[in-house]
Amino acid sequence: MQVENLAKHYGDVHALDGVSLQAAAGEVFGLLGHNGAGKSTMIRILTGRARPTSGLATVLGHEVPRDLAAVRGQINLVAEIPNVYQRATARENLELFCTLYGLPKRRAAEVLEEVRLSKVAKRKVKTFSTGMRQRLLLARALLNTPRVLFMDEPTRGLDPQSARDLRQLVTRLAEEGATIFLTTHDMNEADELCARVAFLAEGRIVALDTPRALKLSLGAEAPEVDVVLDDGSELRLRLHEERDAARLQELVGEQRIRAVHSREPTLADVFIELAGRSLDGGDDDEAAA
Amino acid sequence: MSLRRVFAILGKDLRDAFRDGRILVLLLLPIGMAVFYNATIQDEDELPTTKVAVVESAGGEVARELRTATGKSVELDLQRVPSTAAARKLVADGEVALAVVVGAAGGAGPARAQVLVARDASPTAQSVVALVPDALTRAAGRTPTAQTQVSGVAPADQKPYEILEPRSVTVLLVIVLLVAFVAMMVVPIQTAEELETGTFSALRLASTGPEVLAAKALAGFIYGLAGIGLTIVLTKLDVDDPLLFVGASLGLIASLVGFGLLLGLLVPNSNAINTYGAFFLIPFVGLAGAVFFVESGVLMTILDVLPFSQAARLLGDGLSAQKPFDAGLVSWLVIAGWALLGYVILARITSRREL
Repeated sequence: MQVENLAKHYGDVHALDGVSLQAAAGEVFGLLGHNGAGKSTMIRILTGRARPTSGLATVLGHEVPRDLAAVRGQINLVAEIPNVYQRATARENLELFCTLYGLPKRRAAEVLEEVRLSKVAKRKVKTFSTGMRQRLLLARALLNTPRVLFMDEPTRGLDPQSARDLRQLVTRLAEEGATIFLTTHDMNEADELCARVAFLAEGRIVALDTPRALKLSLGAEAPEVDVVLDDGSELRLRLHEERDAARLQELVGEQRIRAVHSREPTLADVFIELAGRSLDGGDDDEAAA
Repeated sequence: MSLRRVFAILGKDLRDAFRDGRILVLLLLPIGMAVFYNATIQDEDELPTTKVAVVESAGGEVARELRTATGKSVELDLQRVPSTAAARKLVADGEVALAVVVGAAGGAGPARAQVLVARDASPTAQSVVALVPDALTRAAGRTPTAQTQVSGVAPADQKPYEILEPRSVTVLLVIVLLVAFVAMMVVPIQTAEELETGTFSALRLASTGPEVLAAKALAGFIYGLAGIGLTIVLTKLDVDDPLLFVGASLGLIASLVGFGLLLGLLVPNSNAINTYGAFFLIPFVGLAGAVFFVESGVLMTILDVLPFSQAARLLGDGLSAQKPFDAGLVSWLVIAGWALLGYVILARITSRREL
């Protein structure tokens, strides 16, 4: 999957502004950003449901949305909202998409088994819990065994067990060769799952690397340690500051240190450093876009 | 466009309609109204009725042919009796206006028939008497020397609503309301709900926008035609020209469904459409009703350019051999024009909104 200088403008709003990135087969790629940063717009373009204003987007070697027909059966999406038919049963929901993809209807039963919804296959979806609906979404996304799977905030609203199951599934799919394109607000999730992440802010990529490299880049500039003293008090020392470094040496010399914890920056720290604010401080202007 | 995908989405929509109380009400309410009005409204000019006794040994061919011969000019109240004497008594007692007695064929000679007529028989009964030889010839399996067809002729100055009678006019208007509900409420509600819940977006991953919209338009045609068919059956509406009637129904659905889809896309709030839709539609259906009374003026000009009123004219013509409106090409062109306009705007909007 490759994106080159992609732009999408809605009037004066530049949802995407010259974005370039690529994700290889078997890679879990994370796209992180505030609401309104352009993540959903990117997914809309890559899944052929929006036309870019300029630039090029290719999926499995085909330009989208122009050659969408060539990739339609090989991509799928786990949407952010539970967009399933509430008055239909779980099985009916999946069987509809089996027909749309030209798959045998028994495939519906297979994926329901995979996401542990077989027992409720004949129940109307409106009686499902949030977690069950999210699993049904996942089941629908797995129907056509996609080579590229887009996941838009897939663990939002899931209980910890379901979220862990989903993360295991993502890892397994990637090991089987699928490209996973993930957008999430959960930095720990991105850190755990993604081989590489890109930070999107105001329609532009502000950083793109492995989570470890991104964290190290910040850590190298500002290494910090938390020191627990023999009287139980704690200190945070910034080692790149001369005064704090001297204080640490002093405490070592006085043998007053009970424990030292190196404090490595998290992806969230890196994001705040680069984007200027945390992910949960975003607004909801993406919906307008 | 893949028909497999279109029909898959169509099947889902039809199934969902039966599970959505809003849709069921919109579909069944007009049909219920038609049945109610049909049962309560009496036509002013019923067909003249003539009571006829028939004596025949065979399987009722004479009675059947007599009914065919009189056509829609007379309402025949036929009564089979066992003997000539019983028939004569009924005529004498004034229980029937006439009796047709057909004897069995004897030897090589032809069967003998006898018509008993009350001396004070009405002109209607006399006209039935005149048709008896024709019916007997046909019942014997022979072709009459001339085909007789009897048709009632209305006075020249009759208005359309006088020709069609209040019952038929009411059922016709309810059919227009049904089509309006289907095209401008049911179709938009189903479309808007897909957008509201995000399922439209899910469908778009596995199919194209035109396939989704084509399925929704087809669903509109199916609801409309099924509703109209059911209404005709339940009300026993007498359709003189079924081809014209069905064509006009299809034309009206086609002219409105494009706008219905548009409404669903532009107002992605199915409950709002369900709540307020009828308020906007009923005046238009009222305009369709106005074609039965308005003959000139500004209102007539307005009626001339609306699909509701033009379709009502064509439907009215389909109900009576007298063709009360004598609507023709102009009506079809107006309906086709609105249909085209709806789909052109729909195409532009869907393209602009990347649906």
